[in-house]
Amino acid sequence: MSIERRIIKATWGYNGDLEPLSELEDLGDAILVTFDLPRVKKEDVEINLTEDTVELIAKMSESVCWEKWGSIQKRLTFQTFQKQIRLPELINQKEASASFKNGILRVVMPKQREKVLIRID
Amino acid sequence: MKYLYLYTYYLLLPMENGPVTIVEEKGVTHKNPIVIEGLPDVGLVGTIAASYIVDKMDYAKLGYIESELFPPIMVIHEGKLISPFRIYGNEDVVVVLSEIAIPPDAVYPLTTALTDWFSNIGARLVISVSGLPMKNRIDIEKPEVFAIGNNDAAMKKLEDKQMELLQEGFIAGTYAVMLRQCMKRGLSAVSLLAQCFPVYPDPGAAASAIEALDKFINLGIDVGELMGREEEIKLKARDLMRETALSAPEMQKGVEQDMPIMYR
Repeated sequence: MSIERRIIKATWGYNGDLEPLSELEDLGDAILVTFDLPRVKKEDVEINLTEDTVELIAKMSESVCWEKWGSIQKRLTFQTFQKQIRLPELINQKEASASFKNGILRVVMPKQREKVLIRID
Repeated sequence: MKYLYLYTYYLLLPMENGPVTIVEEKGVTHKNPIVIEGLPDVGLVGTIAASYIVDKMDYAKLGYIESELFPPIMVIHEGKLISPFRIYGNEDVVVVLSEIAIPPDAVYPLTTALTDWFSNIGARLVISVSGLPMKNRIDIEKPEVFAIGNNDAAMKKLEDKQMELLQEGFIAGTYAVMLRQCMKRGLSAVSLLAQCFPVYPDPGAAASAIEALDKFINLGIDVGELMGREEEIKLKARDLMRETALSAPEMQKGVEQDMPIMYR
């Protein structure tokens, strides 16, 4: 990643949002997205799905504050994780499921797929 | 002796290893030290473990590593400028750590320069602390640590310490090259790999790695505080983890999940 991109693409916002670390994996029939959410409790996680996006908003149980950091941002407090991910394929939102363990959120979203069995001549 | 090393490095490194320079600031007479290398890799296991060890053992900063191949970044800590690639320790222990991801182009020159230096200071063992990425890490309560040795002496040491050996597979990244470079110089080296999350900082894996490291170096460090600060460490290590994960494909980290061709 170039320096220019790093400057433009900070992983936090002045509105108190932090971008969580996340990983997307293609499971074949489904897409798995995981998020690393330290200081978050299960009841404070909100997941919104569309056909091709997953949006996460998660409130931390204790806000995190960075002081005397950088040249402009002298003191910033973050209390929420927020991220929207565009999915590589359309998913079936209604059949999606999620689990949360030790600060890791897993969202499994079955793909929209019609299978047709073909015969081999 | 220290000045002799510096002299040698400034004269030889630019010719042999490209633009990587090991700068020793503090006059320490090394007594065949054990080297602990904790550079950013999967789960940031080495970085988290090495930082915690330096903090708990209160090791002095011995020097730093500079290179034109590193990104143009300096760290500001308590108002002072410091290099992100630093060396800590004392006469018996040397710890190498970095606060920024290693650019793939720098892996060979960096490991060459480091292993030349380890050889010159008479290192008796080089221990790379790293992670073994596990897809099911979330289901693993206590990460296990596996080991690899680079020669007969290192393998004997691992057997004596009853370490579980990684039997078959591929290893990739900085520590893989470090093992080979040490082997070329006749240095005994081992890698301790703790089961970890591939792309999330993993203090739990770092704690397991420190416990395994204790078999070799008797630091007697309590990892309780590390586990108590797990969430804070995960938050602080977020950006380094992201940068390290971005360089993983170029480091061929994916090959670690491949099955090796099994023939004799």
